[in-house]
Amino acid sequence: MSHIGIPAIRSDAWSKVNGETVYTYDYKEAGMLYGVLLRSPHAAGKLLGCDLSKTRTMPGVRAAIAAADVPAVLAGWSMRDTPLFARDRVRYIGEPIAAVAADSLAEARAAVAAIGLEIEPHPPVLDLEAAILPGAPLVHPEWKDYVPAAGSDFLRNGNVAAECSADPGGIDAIFEAAALVVEDVFTTQRQYQAYLDPKSAVAIYRGGRYTIHTGHQFSFNVRDRVAQFLNIAPTDVRVIGHPIGGGFGGKLDYSVEPHAAALSKAAGGRPVKISNTRVEDLTTANCREGTIVKIRSALDADGNILARDVDAYMDNGAYTGEMSYMASFPFHCGAINYRVGKFRAMGRLAYTNTPPTGAMRGVSGPAMYAAPENHMDHITLELGADRREYRLKHLFGNGDTLPNGQVLDNAEILKQGFDAIEKIVPWQGTAKSRTPYKGRGLGAAIWLVNPLPGSLSMKLEEDGTVSVVTAATDNGSGALAAGIPQIIAETLGVRPEQVRISDPDTDTAAWDGGSQGGRTTQTVGLAAIQGVTEMRGKILETAAQMLQMEAGGLSIVDGQICVAGESKGRMTPAEVAVAATFGGAPIQGSGGASLPAVPFNPGCANGLLFPFFTSPTYHVHYAEVEVNPVSGNVDVTRYVVAQDVGRVINRACVMGQIQGAVAQSIGYALYESMRFAEDGKIIEDNLQFYRLPLAVDIPKVEYIAMENDNTEGPFGSKGSGEAPVLLPPAVIAAAVADAIGKPIRKIPVTPEDVLEALAGDE
Amino acid sequence: MATTESITATVNGRVETFDVSGLESLMDVLRDTLHLSGTKEGCREGECGACTVLLDGKPINSCAYIARAAAGREIETIEGLQDALSLRIKQAIVEASGIQCGYCTPGIVVMLSAFLRRIEAPDEALIREALSGNICRCTGYSQIVDAVLRVVHEGAPAA
Repeated sequence: MSHIGIPAIRSDAWSKVNGETVYTYDYKEAGMLYGVLLRSPHAAGKLLGCDLSKTRTMPGVRAAIAAADVPAVLAGWSMRDTPLFARDRVRYIGEPIAAVAADSLAEARAAVAAIGLEIEPHPPVLDLEAAILPGAPLVHPEWKDYVPAAGSDFLRNGNVAAECSADPGGIDAIFEAAALVVEDVFTTQRQYQAYLDPKSAVAIYRGGRYTIHTGHQFSFNVRDRVAQFLNIAPTDVRVIGHPIGGGFGGKLDYSVEPHAAALSKAAGGRPVKISNTRVEDLTTANCREGTIVKIRSALDADGNILARDVDAYMDNGAYTGEMSYMASFPFHCGAINYRVGKFRAMGRLAYTNTPPTGAMRGVSGPAMYAAPENHMDHITLELGADRREYRLKHLFGNGDTLPNGQVLDNAEILKQGFDAIEKIVPWQGTAKSRTPYKGRGLGAAIWLVNPLPGSLSMKLEEDGTVSVVTAATDNGSGALAAGIPQIIAETLGVRPEQVRISDPDTDTAAWDGGSQGGRTTQTVGLAAIQGVTEMRGKILETAAQMLQMEAGGLSIVDGQICVAGESKGRMTPAEVAVAATFGGAPIQGSGGASLPAVPFNPGCANGLLFPFFTSPTYHVHYAEVEVNPVSGNVDVTRYVVAQDVGRVINRACVMGQIQGAVAQSIGYALYESMRFAEDGKIIEDNLQFYRLPLAVDIPKVEYIAMENDNTEGPFGSKGSGEAPVLLPPAVIAAAVADAIGKPIRKIPVTPEDVLEALAGDE
Repeated sequence: MATTESITATVNGRVETFDVSGLESLMDVLRDTLHLSGTKEGCREGECGACTVLLDGKPINSCAYIARAAAGREIETIEGLQDALSLRIKQAIVEASGIQCGYCTPGIVVMLSAFLRRIEAPDEALIREALSGNICRCTGYSQIVDAVLRVVHEGAPAA
């Protein structure tokens, strides 16, 4: 029986539903101390003093440290611009300045409150456009001294932390001669990942090295970051992963791990646990960045787009993390899906005195699709064209290219998506002929699967269990709890329940790129097939010796070693494992894989740190909304997704990813407001005000799986967990605009925005 | 320092006597003193529902409930919910794939147990309303709603 494409039950389901799963927030070590961080109350300023002398004598305190107590180095994923504790200046509200470890949490908090902190506050840099104007105060006056974490330096200048631009020349002339120019400015706010399990870590300094317990999406990345901050070799850090209570990109970089490690050393090696409170977590999270996207198109008299010009500002926050890569996305997404002629792009990542931004599921994609898709609607309005027809007329097909020159061999899947949606919900022109305050939005996206390598090793136990060691992580998607066991079971001829995957440990597992970009099932699945192939060869060789026949005539079917032509199996893999383990050599296999690089034009842009889309995937989304003109509330009444998923490995998990991603992105489109006050403080700073989608808010998503074989994935599969987050802001903003007959140029579209738009004269 | 007092309450059917201090929350006592870590800490603000337990059969956010007020009362946590209805709910959530990261799951099971004890045949709208005190960031709720509908359609098992 095939284990592929079925809704196999995930291996961790019963432990989770019974409340037995131990997350890092629940994790304890004997003799453990509680660590608390002193965080900056000011968004910008000079750090004049941080006196720990009183703190160190307080009851229960075992260690108190600040910048002077740790190596004077800077660290960072892409750019080394971040101190472990603020040194001579503070750059955002919530920046760590000092840390205390004490016998109890209450004692640690009291001791932190007693730290003699002196800061001379400065006006914070908050506005993205103002930040990059000449003469703006610099968030990092010493920016020229910074060095990248690896490789050569990239385009940056003052408050511009990274820049990616492309200009083929002649754009201005096309705009001047155009029959019609359409312009929009679209803004998006930050989005908090809002995993339910706040960030937490337990660190132990013992035997000259550090062990870190943390529920992390990317074990080797946090290992390397701790090593950078503490100025030690990466292998002096061991990261032991625990179940992740949600991540969505928020747990790809370090958070409290290096601070806990430094505290443990200062406390003589006692284990130290630091757990963010929800407010700490929300206000210092590496949120999806806020953006301003200025987009213009030049059209001829027939309504064809002759040129497109995109100028995007992205909020880096105070430190860069991995954001430098995201500056490439205005370029990638500004001229995608549809043919838009000559294309000029500028993406600038601005340092501000706000918490560092980072990856959230789909990274910059939701903003970078919301702007051009709503701009497309604006163009059709100017032309009096139908939104769907216009899109189809200019839609990419096979052989069309991305702005980087990458040729798309299977872009016709986009058309499949539009057709599939049309079948279940026929498009109905403009809003004029329909019910007032009901609107529709339609949009498309092309995305990638993160190409980083993955690996695993496995052994066949004497009871027939396949035990797998990998640094890959399951952030809840089911990639390791269901997908990889199904792939291994199918390839080996056993059942998924016989596959057991251990939690990651950087001491024992080979490198893996972490749960990001929809990569785990696809890439680790490829590695798993290699591992199984090696192991199956050994199983059949051993069985052949036992049966005194040729291995070539043997196979493994439904958990039995079978001889060709016989209907009954001769023995089980378990029996072979016993013979091999005690009479030959234990049966093991391993594998490693990554997604192939894609040919592209290296001269297409300057500063293109994220060069191409590996294993491209195709998406079309449709939304219906109902707007309450009195309250301004928007209700998403119907949501349809047509998604290219390659071949489905686990139907229930794919559906869960799509439903969950759409829900998160409906939150981003409508409710999840995160604004900054003038002093740099986040206004919606707890879960009462940062409004997450609830069960009453989210419709059941109608999902059309467009199954097309993918030669780059196990059993034809493609990464599917990330991309469904890309389009809801685009199509919901468009649907609201359609419903009220007024333009919407921002997300979230809060009730206040709706009422303001209704009152506006445009 | 906060004053400590000893209180007695029934926890998962067993009479327990334990120390509570000052305004210590019921969630902290359950997790740290009684080692029942299936009750999850998500926000400590009474917003997310991950810490839901039953107090005399009614769901409460244990993070926002002062432990000493539980003296003499009956507390049920995820670890104690082993009755036929609760097991049926768990089974349905597992089968309907209503679990991803799982952090909200115990709180949701606890809440649903109280809900379905009280209302035998709720419709989808009522189920969604009942779930709206529990935030799930992973699933988008549909597969959890499906699980509840599955329990409802199959009829509650005999207690």
